[in-house]
Amino acid sequence: MKVLTLLAPRWWGFRNGLVFGGRRSLIKAGSLLAVAVGFWVGIYVIFYRVLRYFQAVEEFGDLLAYKLLTMVYLTFFGLLIFSNVLVALNTFFLSQDLEIIHATPVSIGEIFAARFLDTLVESSWMVLLFGIPIFTAYGLVYQASLVYYLGLVSVIIPYLILAAALGITLTMILVQVFPAQRSRDILFLLSLLVIILLFFLFRFTRPERLVDPDAFASVITYFRALSAPASPYLPSSWASEAIWPLLRPSAMSSGFYQGFLWVNGLASLVVCAFVAIWVYPEGWSKSQESGRLLAGRFLGLVPKRLRPRTPRRSQTLSLMGKDLKFFFRDNTQWSQLLLILALIVLYLYNYSVLPLDSVKVPTFYLQNLIAFLNVGLAGFVLASIGVRFVFTAVSGEGFSFWIMQSAPLSMRRLLWSKFLFYLAPLLLLGLILTIATNELLQVSALMRWLAPITIFSMVFGITALGVGMGAVFPNFKAENVTQVATGFGGLLYMILAMGFIAMVVVLEAGPVYILFMAQARHHSLSFFQWLYVGGSIFLMVLVNIAAVWLPMRYGIRKLAAYEG
Amino acid sequence: MIRLEELTKRFKQVTAVDNVSLMVAPGEIYGFLGPNGAGKTTTIKMLAGIMRPTSGSIFIDDLDLLKHPIEVKARVGFIPDRPFLYEKLTGSEFMSFMANLYGFNGAGREKRIQQFLELFELAEWAKELVGSYSHGMKQRLIMSAALLHEPRVFIVDEPLVGLDPKGARLIKRIFTRLKRSGLTVFMSTHTLEVAEELCDRIGIIQKGELLAEGTVAELKELAGQEDSRLESIFLHLTGAETESTEDIGFINQKNSSIPQSV
Repeated sequence: MKVLTLLAPRWWGFRNGLVFGGRRSLIKAGSLLAVAVGFWVGIYVIFYRVLRYFQAVEEFGDLLAYKLLTMVYLTFFGLLIFSNVLVALNTFFLSQDLEIIHATPVSIGEIFAARFLDTLVESSWMVLLFGIPIFTAYGLVYQASLVYYLGLVSVIIPYLILAAALGITLTMILVQVFPAQRSRDILFLLSLLVIILLFFLFRFTRPERLVDPDAFASVITYFRALSAPASPYLPSSWASEAIWPLLRPSAMSSGFYQGFLWVNGLASLVVCAFVAIWVYPEGWSKSQESGRLLAGRFLGLVPKRLRPRTPRRSQTLSLMGKDLKFFFRDNTQWSQLLLILALIVLYLYNYSVLPLDSVKVPTFYLQNLIAFLNVGLAGFVLASIGVRFVFTAVSGEGFSFWIMQSAPLSMRRLLWSKFLFYLAPLLLLGLILTIATNELLQVSALMRWLAPITIFSMVFGITALGVGMGAVFPNFKAENVTQVATGFGGLLYMILAMGFIAMVVVLEAGPVYILFMAQARHHSLSFFQWLYVGGSIFLMVLVNIAAVWLPMRYGIRKLAAYEG
Repeated sequence: MIRLEELTKRFKQVTAVDNVSLMVAPGEIYGFLGPNGAGKTTTIKMLAGIMRPTSGSIFIDDLDLLKHPIEVKARVGFIPDRPFLYEKLTGSEFMSFMANLYGFNGAGREKRIQQFLELFELAEWAKELVGSYSHGMKQRLIMSAALLHEPRVFIVDEPLVGLDPKGARLIKRIFTRLKRSGLTVFMSTHTLEVAEELCDRIGIIQKGELLAEGTVAELKELAGQEDSRLESIFLHLTGAETESTEDIGFINQKNSSIPQSV
């Protein structure tokens, strides 16, 4: 019963959030639900169409559908392990309520049981939710009977337990080696490097060659590789083997693998419980130790005169200096620079290997069209980085925001200092993305200037939108600032930023086309064409100014009135 | 000096501070007392410019806080009840940052920072991240930072929470010294002995309303308990006085549903 008592605050917290949150929280929940349903429908449609297409392919169709199923299970398993480790670090070692719980007369076994369930639910619900449309698509395409859906439930339960048990056991061992705080940092860095490595590996296999008939020989080799059996040691293979016979009535029985999953799931749970009861008390005790942060050490290696300093006599510079120190002392922040670096390399690599010559459109025209569309794409990349770093800039003040409120500092100055802080790196990134791409595509002189100028002006709007919207939707109580980016405000920022980028690109498209064609055909522009070009540029300037001025103004007003 | 005029703060249906008017003279230490949820912290937050009143005015040094927030805040040193600080700055970096924020760039700034760090016994930890400080150390660091820019008014919410006896004594000495130099102190506290010892005048707030105000002697007279300590006067004025043991009698009653040993 104590296990249920330990889990009760979770449920009460969820319920109270809905009951006391008022209309605003219901609107937020409704909007998030609408987005989730949108994704859900999207995933379903994609899988349904892909599976339908596979069915139409003779010989290979079923094989592809089966391989896709194993890939889905394997991806889910990887995500589940990773998410379980991160969640377990929090639920078992870092959560604020642990001090109270460990002070109560509750046994380690009961705490373990409650936290296991907590971790299982928190790390599995999203995978489960997004798995439903995929499995439904399989069921409908293959016209599966009720037995398939019952089998799914019977497979997914031990599968989730297995992933949770493995993830939690791994966490328990990790915390034995490093303190919990350090484990999270190291794990975060490692996972980031693995993700980057996977990206590179995938990208450098050049899947675009599959559309090239000349490379057909390699496609045959690829299909041969596909028909090779998957590893029998992977739980994803067991799950696929348990589900596939329920989709394709055959002599094979699903029962053996279902039983195998259950036995392994329950056995892993028992092992995890033993490991936890054995090492958790010591691990919990160790997690109370405060370790020096990785970046703190890293900073120690930098010569003193090169370290970020708090400049004297200027509030703005002082605020920016503080933000710079925070960035380099927070491992979850600076390490993401690696990800951005990898993103730039891949982004440029993609342009360098575009098979433009094989497309039956004049290369010159295509190069310039892609360079123009690249402006929008670069804007999207900047907005994605903006939601993670710029939108969260105000919320990053956290519980210490009272210092800003009580200091002789206007919110105007605070927000503009944040704007300036993020503007320079985003400008640099935007210019790198457009100038380097233009060089790779060997575009015309017009595009060579136009793309960097457009992105240069858009970065002001993307940054101001991030800072301003971040001030309109601040969350100073978030334990982790990354949570802020995935909330309602972050979503709204992305929608508005995409709208702004689309507006600029659409406004620019007409004049660019006219100028480009005139240049290509050696014509001069008529009076009305000049008028159209001038009018579009004027509107573009207005949109850019509005994208800076409106969110900053609204953000300043909202933050000045903040009393939370 | 501080002047509150008909200060009111409403949160939807709840009136946290209801029409409070008071005045604190230069060089005076004013104690703001009241039971939990009486409206002390809300008043203090409004005084510090963190919260806007629903109606009424706040004057500090005859400047309207709502009309001249930046000028007023530059004259105020504020210490909240919970020491949330920038965990990823070192102690000395935090002090420099606060000096910049308050525009305290005069000659001898670094020397003054060092003096405060030494006074509050933080010099040894000045190069360590604030995140590794104990609760009491953080409280002392905030105190140092709040005094750094030579404020004219000092607003403190629960000044002694989390401090050891030595730290508490240091704060009392500092308050007495600040008072002598003409600085106005507005503090809320639950520690009635401290209020009795330090404060020139005391205001008692309950359910958002200022119940009584005056020196300890005046409050005693008002409560008709001239021989009592401040605690009894406070309990009497707030209606929380109880001599009966009936309401706490259940504590040591045997209850068969609670296991006697685990």
